[in-house]
Amino acid sequence: MTQNGNRRQVHRKGNPYLWIGLFMTGTAVLVALVGAFWTPSSTTAMSAAERFCGPSLRHPFGTDNFGRDILSRVMKGAGSTIFISSLVVLLSGGLGIVVGALTGYFGGLLDEIIMRFTDAVNGFPSILLALVMISILGSGKKNLILSLGIVFTPSFVRIVRSEFIRLRDADYISRARLMGVGRLRILFVHILPNIFSTFWVSVMIGFNNGILAESGMSYLGIGVRPPDASLGEMLSDAQGYLLRAPWYALAPGLTIVWIVLGFSLLSEGIRQNSGEASDGK
Amino acid sequence: MENKAGISPMVQIENLSVCFGSTEAVRNVNLEIARGEILGVVGESGSGKSVTALTLMGLLAESGDIASGRVVFDGETLAEAGKPRNRALYRRYQGQRMSMIFQEPMTSLNPTQKVGAQVEEMLRLHTGLPRQEWKEKVLGSFASVGLRDVEQLYDCYPHQLSGGMRQRVMIAMAVILHPDLIVADEPTTALDVTVQNQIIALLREINQKEHNAMLFITHDLNLARRICHRIAVMKDGRVVEIQSAEDIFENPREEYTKKLIQAVPTRVRCKTRTPKDSQSVPRPVLEVHGLNVYYQEGANSLFGRKRKRCVVSDADFVLYPGEVMGLVGESGCGKSSLSKAILGMNRNVEGEIRHFSTRPQMIFQDPYSSLNPCKTVGWLLQEPLRAAGHLDKSLQMSEADMRAEACDMLRRVGLDESCMHRKPSQLSGGQRQRISIGQALITRPGFVIADEPVSALDVTLQAQIMELMQRLQEELGVAYLFISHDINVVYRMSDRIMVMKDGQIVEQGRTEELFASPKEAYTQLLLQES
Repeated sequence: MTQNGNRRQVHRKGNPYLWIGLFMTGTAVLVALVGAFWTPSSTTAMSAAERFCGPSLRHPFGTDNFGRDILSRVMKGAGSTIFISSLVVLLSGGLGIVVGALTGYFGGLLDEIIMRFTDAVNGFPSILLALVMISILGSGKKNLILSLGIVFTPSFVRIVRSEFIRLRDADYISRARLMGVGRLRILFVHILPNIFSTFWVSVMIGFNNGILAESGMSYLGIGVRPPDASLGEMLSDAQGYLLRAPWYALAPGLTIVWIVLGFSLLSEGIRQNSGEASDGK
Repeated sequence: MENKAGISPMVQIENLSVCFGSTEAVRNVNLEIARGEILGVVGESGSGKSVTALTLMGLLAESGDIASGRVVFDGETLAEAGKPRNRALYRRYQGQRMSMIFQEPMTSLNPTQKVGAQVEEMLRLHTGLPRQEWKEKVLGSFASVGLRDVEQLYDCYPHQLSGGMRQRVMIAMAVILHPDLIVADEPTTALDVTVQNQIIALLREINQKEHNAMLFITHDLNLARRICHRIAVMKDGRVVEIQSAEDIFENPREEYTKKLIQAVPTRVRCKTRTPKDSQSVPRPVLEVHGLNVYYQEGANSLFGRKRKRCVVSDADFVLYPGEVMGLVGESGCGKSSLSKAILGMNRNVEGEIRHFSTRPQMIFQDPYSSLNPCKTVGWLLQEPLRAAGHLDKSLQMSEADMRAEACDMLRRVGLDESCMHRKPSQLSGGQRQRISIGQALITRPGFVIADEPVSALDVTLQAQIMELMQRLQEELGVAYLFISHDINVVYRMSDRIMVMKDGQIVEQGRTEELFASPKEAYTQLLLQES
């Protein structure tokens, strides 16, 4: 009864995390999508006359050291950052589900080996590992996605595995086994949908980490290469002109903050909503 | 109530209503408890009995509000509608003059503290007793609640004690300061039936000796009858009837009370059942011979030494088609281990298990965890058919056939088609258990194990589910292995009964014979106690 009362109150207030998060991520994704097809001016056209222009009507976010329009580059850059981060999460999340489900459900020696391996991977800073992988694979967008994806996989494996361990002995899974449901069907039809709310939150967090990692890597100059734009690459360029043209660093920096904050709020909102749903069990 | 001694009652609850948001959990409840009286509050879950008790104790959750009425304890108003909560006032009474015994002794004792120290806490908080005398007083109170070896017990942690001992420690804690009011919220529900009776006897004894008021909350009318002087029946937050314990059983006034009394499984009503044709011995659906079941201890760690522990030894029985075999025993006696071994969920066994039916199914105790929460009822009912079709191509059915079959089963378990698209979270406990039963029976297995299928349900629901299981058994000719700790429930359901103790089947026989002339001392004890 207590829970009923509480739940109703939450419903009446709505879920501000969810709505603000949706708004922030929604605008970011929209701008990035538009940027993929149309930008106010060219992202690569240089103009010596317009170097380091402050924000104006013609260039709302100003121009950079080559006289390129920063708004356009931020739009393009946000697109490529979100794209890279999405692929990283897709790759590591997919790998995480498969490996986590198998090790969590079956356990045994293989589980033990894989878990010790992920412990070892987690022992290193992820950026460092990604750097090592890049130095082996070579730089570029594709290799950046691949190496970040692999570096991010262990955290997904852990989450998926612990959820599968929790659910593999649930009564309804025992019953499914008694019915003669096949193992793969138990794994991916019976158990997997039940871990989605947890998994979804970790995807959101992973996505944020992906954005930060991509920006970090591009900032270090081993991710997206000029003349392509990415938020990290822009920050890296901007740092030389911090005092002369502060807007140069501000635009991509604030965009990163906007996206990351939006996704954090969104994941918190989803967590709260799914928490309510599972209370209602 | 006219008090016999002519003095005001210890506790008065006047016109109390408690709200959580817009839900009214308790509505206009009037209760009085005199000194030396045990008042029982009986009702199903959600009837408001616990909220009433918590309000009385000043432990109402922050989200709850007293909408009307007041609580008076020994002449002093402790809580009243419209007034802010006076915690300081309550603190003078809580623990010292009013104390509470909870249902779950494992979670209401702190697992990281020795029990002696936990009971001492009461003395430290509420008395000016010098430190040296604490231990002596605690040991004395341990002894008074029938605990033995009190010196050793003093230094034990809760997990080292059995459920019954833990509950005794809880009671010792509650009575050490000789409170005027003890609120016992389902104090025996988590305990085995033999222990239950000891605790009941103890509470009665304390009540007589200390002459205090006691509020005894339970869902079990029979239990209330054995301990209480008066009984209040609650439903949907209201007290529907309040009478002396004898009167309420002999001439209940309210329909609801009658329904409750009828729903209690008793041994008086014999199961009407046509006796099996003894001439032809049918082929059994299950034979178990010399079965030992083991558990691997330390099986989860890579390097830990694995040890085998025998949980069921030398089980031997036969189950015939269309028969209900009852399996009764206290918790931890190996009932569930036996059923898991039979279904092949634990392969660590020795001996012989022979199935003569396809895919035996199982019905679990907890209707909340035995249905996949993210699937619809229709999906859940069709899944066994899909699985069967996958394993055996000759059993494959079309989508439409499966849907028709699911609809048919839904009707058989007493639900209508509108449930098809609902998820388990949108159903009540009783409805879920119906779906569970339907899911187990939809492939028409010859044999189903029902592991405490009604233990988690309210008593009126219990009766409905048992009726349903009996009807389905007659319609579909399935054999049940019916497991329960409640011998009366088993009596009502079963043709034959096995009694299990410490992993061994100590006695088995036809229900009537076993009840009329139990051979083993343990069976006799079980029969006496319930």
